[in-house]
Amino acid sequence: MVKHLAFVFALLAAPVHADVADVVADHILPGYAAFAQATADLDRQAAASCTADTLRPAFQTAFDAWMAVQHLHLGPVEEAGRGLAIAFWPDPKGLGRKAQLGLMQGDPAKLTPEAFADQSVAARGLTGLERLLYPTTPWPADPCPLIRATTADLARLADEVQGGWTSGFADQLLTAGAQGNTRYLSKAEARQALFTVLVTGLAQLHDQRLGRPMGTFDRPTPERAEARASGRSLRNVLLSLQALRALATSLTEPAPQTQAALGHAIALAQNLDDPVFAGIATPTGRLKVEVLQQAVEQARQAALAEIGPALGVGIGFNALDGD
Amino acid sequence: MKHILAATALGTALATSFTATSALAADPSAVVTHYADLAAAKYADSLTAAQSLRAAVDALIAAPSPETLAAARSAWIDARVPYQQTEVFRFGNAIVDDWEGKVNAWPLDEGLIDYVDAGSAQNEENSLAVLNIIATPKFTLSGTEIDATAITPALISETLHEADGIEANVASGYHAIEFLLWGQDLNGTGPGAGDRPYTDFVQGDACTGGNCDRRVAYLKAATDLLISDLEFMAAAWAEGGEGRATVTADPQAGLLAMLTGMGSLSYGEQAGERMKLGLMLNDPEEEHDCFSDNTHNSHYYDGLGIRNVYLGSYTRLDGTELTGPSLSDLVAAQDAAVDTQLKAELDASVAALMAIKQAAESGFAYDQMLEAGNKEGEALIMGAVDALVTQTASIERAVTTLGLTEIDFEGSDSLDNPSAVFQ
Repeated sequence: MVKHLAFVFALLAAPVHADVADVVADHILPGYAAFAQATADLDRQAAASCTADTLRPAFQTAFDAWMAVQHLHLGPVEEAGRGLAIAFWPDPKGLGRKAQLGLMQGDPAKLTPEAFADQSVAARGLTGLERLLYPTTPWPADPCPLIRATTADLARLADEVQGGWTSGFADQLLTAGAQGNTRYLSKAEARQALFTVLVTGLAQLHDQRLGRPMGTFDRPTPERAEARASGRSLRNVLLSLQALRALATSLTEPAPQTQAALGHAIALAQNLDDPVFAGIATPTGRLKVEVLQQAVEQARQAALAEIGPALGVGIGFNALDGD
Repeated sequence: MKHILAATALGTALATSFTATSALAADPSAVVTHYADLAAAKYADSLTAAQSLRAAVDALIAAPSPETLAAARSAWIDARVPYQQTEVFRFGNAIVDDWEGKVNAWPLDEGLIDYVDAGSAQNEENSLAVLNIIATPKFTLSGTEIDATAITPALISETLHEADGIEANVASGYHAIEFLLWGQDLNGTGPGAGDRPYTDFVQGDACTGGNCDRRVAYLKAATDLLISDLEFMAAAWAEGGEGRATVTADPQAGLLAMLTGMGSLSYGEQAGERMKLGLMLNDPEEEHDCFSDNTHNSHYYDGLGIRNVYLGSYTRLDGTELTGPSLSDLVAAQDAAVDTQLKAELDASVAALMAIKQAAESGFAYDQMLEAGNKEGEALIMGAVDALVTQTASIERAVTTLGLTEIDFEGSDSLDNPSAVFQ
């Protein structure tokens, strides 16, 4: 009996399980603040000098900051196509480079902040900037004006996303179910939105960041890895996993199966010595990435089985539902 | 492409409560049966319209002229009306989702099929993007010699479609036929659709574009193939068909299939991939019916199809109104506010899509709306995108209201092995 009571007290004494407010305060707002800071720094540096070598470290920092929040497909980033403009990938038809060539050689008026904001998302953002700072084929004209237009646009987008959260959207999530909140009609709807983000983020990692370079066994396609030119393909996978673990931790505790599965996937990514997934072209290298891919899928299954029921919600519709 | 559903024990409990509390309200079993009736009617109408298209294509082939080409194009546009209203059956019904790539795959690397403007068909991930089968009777595919001397439905479906495992190699379906009837739209975001001359189908010296005999053979084979594919799906929803059997076997799972189709089409597919992405890329190639400039109709009838499923209604090609027990009845019986809101939001999205349709029919084509900096076009498209996103939240509410639990709208593993989720 004593033992039993002790167990009950232990439960009562355990930290209150995490929830929407923790996710907003510990994960989302700091993440977007860091991204806004990193892109503002990048833009300041580009204004001072736009040689690729000088700007690359700030570019890498900004991309790191983006990876901490890129899975958050809700709120201001989904409005006005901001998320698409911040990092447009994949781009199988090479639309980005084509549009950038046009901008580089065309009317400079299209590079003013107002006009540039209307240009194709394929030409902008981190993906566009990567092509300018890590060119795989030389550009026919001076990329400097386009680099500056892109960093300014990126800083603006990051600022708008952060502002959108702090001046309204965070409150919408936090006041879910309150009178007057037309977006989230119950607390469960807010939990469902964040749970959907978590599961969808893992699916996107599996299907796209890992799935695209994997191709098929007969035809591996490592050249399709994300952010290859800047050497970030594996790093993006690792940072994304870490961000999703942070989200899971803030969203619900305890979730031992999900945490274990995410921890396993993160360890695999940390030990994978294949920064741009070039090893996929070899049988052993491919196997290693495949094992990582399976670990990500296991984490997704664990989250579905464990976190959804803990939150009392199912997964909602997401942007990957299309074909 | 996979969409998974599962209904919980909760759903079964709910079914019981319906019987207990409201004998007059629709019951889940009647609602899913009527859903199958709607599907059967829409696919049957799609088949009828495709048969009219085949008659018009035969007339074009028999006597190519500006008139017969115009008639074939008009028959294609008519054929899209019932078909687009079936798209809401895709997500949620594996039998439809596994099949739909044969009839409505998009976007396509049209250079696989026929001539294209030099430099216009780049796809760094598809070595066949400019193969031009019509000009190439023999070629090598993944190391195998292919003899395409005779262009048959079997060659298109078994060898060419998704050749090399690449989805952009669309050799069959509405959009392949569309490309053959219209040709590439080279007007960018300016006015005008594809402008293939009728002489591309003339045999003998007056032939333009080369290989008119093979172009005609391709058009005929692709149209025949579309008809046999539609026959298959119409049968799948008729009495005794597999699609009907699946949704009626377990009404709770059937209800979830209905709502999954509505939500996935509204959000990820229509609002996201088809509308917002094209706008943000300012890319006329990203418009759905890009050769014919019929995108406004495709989007509108997609939206109408979503509302059809919720209301349990459909107006057939012959004007007959099909009505019956609906999701709306079921939701209203549980929570009238959710039903009222969702109905209003579905009306709003249909109205927003209608605004695009009307603008296009007044001369402001969908590809012009995509032009960078075109604020009027952006407002029209984003109006519909926002309406579709808004209704998605209420579709999720309807799922909750009916006590259905969606295990996974997107992944594939739980479909292959539902128990894996619970291990």
